[in-house]
Amino acid sequence: MSFDFMLIFNSIPRILTGIGTTFQLLFLSAFCALILAVILLLMRISGKWYLVIPNMIYVYVFRGTPILVQIFIIYHGFPQFEFIRNSIFWPIFREPFGCAVVALALNDSAYVSEILRGGVLGVSKELHEAGAALGMKAHQRFIHITAPIGIRLVIPAYSNDFISMCKATALASTITLLDMMGVARTIVAETFAPYEIFISVAIIYLILTWVYQKCFGLLEKRMSRHVKQ
Amino acid sequence: MSVLDGWWDDYFWGSVVVLQVFLVALVMMVLLGLIGSAAKLSNNRVAQKIANAYTIIFRGTPEILVLLLFYFGSGITLTYFVKLFDPTVKFVDIPPFWAGSIAIALIVGSYATETFRGAFLGVDPAQIEAARALGISNFKTFIYVRIPEMWRLALPPFGNHMLSLIKDTAIISIIGLNETVYVAEQATGTTAEPFIMFMVVGCIYLAFSSVITLTVMVLEKYANRHLRSA
Repeated sequence: MSFDFMLIFNSIPRILTGIGTTFQLLFLSAFCALILAVILLLMRISGKWYLVIPNMIYVYVFRGTPILVQIFIIYHGFPQFEFIRNSIFWPIFREPFGCAVVALALNDSAYVSEILRGGVLGVSKELHEAGAALGMKAHQRFIHITAPIGIRLVIPAYSNDFISMCKATALASTITLLDMMGVARTIVAETFAPYEIFISVAIIYLILTWVYQKCFGLLEKRMSRHVKQ
Repeated sequence: MSVLDGWWDDYFWGSVVVLQVFLVALVMMVLLGLIGSAAKLSNNRVAQKIANAYTIIFRGTPEILVLLLFYFGSGITLTYFVKLFDPTVKFVDIPPFWAGSIAIALIVGSYATETFRGAFLGVDPAQIEAARALGISNFKTFIYVRIPEMWRLALPPFGNHMLSLIKDTAIISIIGLNETVYVAEQATGTTAEPFIMFMVVGCIYLAFSSVITLTVMVLEKYANRHLRSA
């Protein structure tokens, strides 16, 4: 048992070939999740029972099941159906990458919509009343009053969610995707040196997490620049 | 659902394994959280540094990475030490059950550390001073004053930690623990019906998380019973 530093230096370039896939997975699914989450949020705050109940069921199901199971249902389960294979979505579900993005986006949107809802509830009622008194319509109030204040409130919670999303992309390696984790698992299978390889991957993930945290910190500072410190 | 005939007992025993992992990991996670938060709140610099490193590392790396590192790493280390005594041994490893439980307890324990730290800070210092004035020892103050007070504050986030604990058990199937996801993979191999097989797993986990959510709601009500208006 020895710690082989040469192996680390030799395999880090190989591990980094997977970083592109990790980034693509993360940013694509986070972007789709954000759009879905806004739709879910609008359903939730609409106050109409036929929109609120589907939203609650959606959030309950996607937050109550492991993301690994969701990935497996989409990757292994969907190609079983004829109508999915014949639909226009087949190019997405045919590839493991598409399946991983869909699963991550669906899962994350449930969490993000609840975070956004917290932000909407955090905007004080008086501001709404003031807006209504000025004759603003509901959608105008949402765009010009709720959204700018709410976004500032949700950034800390959203940054946590983004980081757990970054960690969840590693699960895509279970459906044969070669992201950083997938490449690392391949190298470990060849060399059987789990300590060296997995610790270097862990350090890369830690650096990524740190960078995301700093970026969201800067964003939060920028968004609340009018607030006196 | 004739496809599922003959698989129900496998799913049942898989759920039992999930429950066992959950309970074992829950105990370890609470202990880790208490030790970690105690270290963070202590005046000892070294303990603080170690606890900080622990939370940064385990909150910043993917669960699957920690699990694989722990399982394969412990296998290599154990084999090395056993070989010192008995060179005929080829390979020893920790059973996937224990490796998995410890790995997810370490991960969720780092989150629990932060939660407990916040909750301990939320306890009114006057309570501690009152206990000291009554001549109660530090240890007894911890057990009878600090823990009951912080528990109330820690419950809501702690419920979320329990949910991530039960969901993380699914990942342990990767190292070959025969829990529900593993059962579904085997069932798919024989029946070629992956959708239904994994849907059953999803329903099992949904049931588990519903039970946890309800339990936390009841516990919260119990913890806050003195605040209810008469």
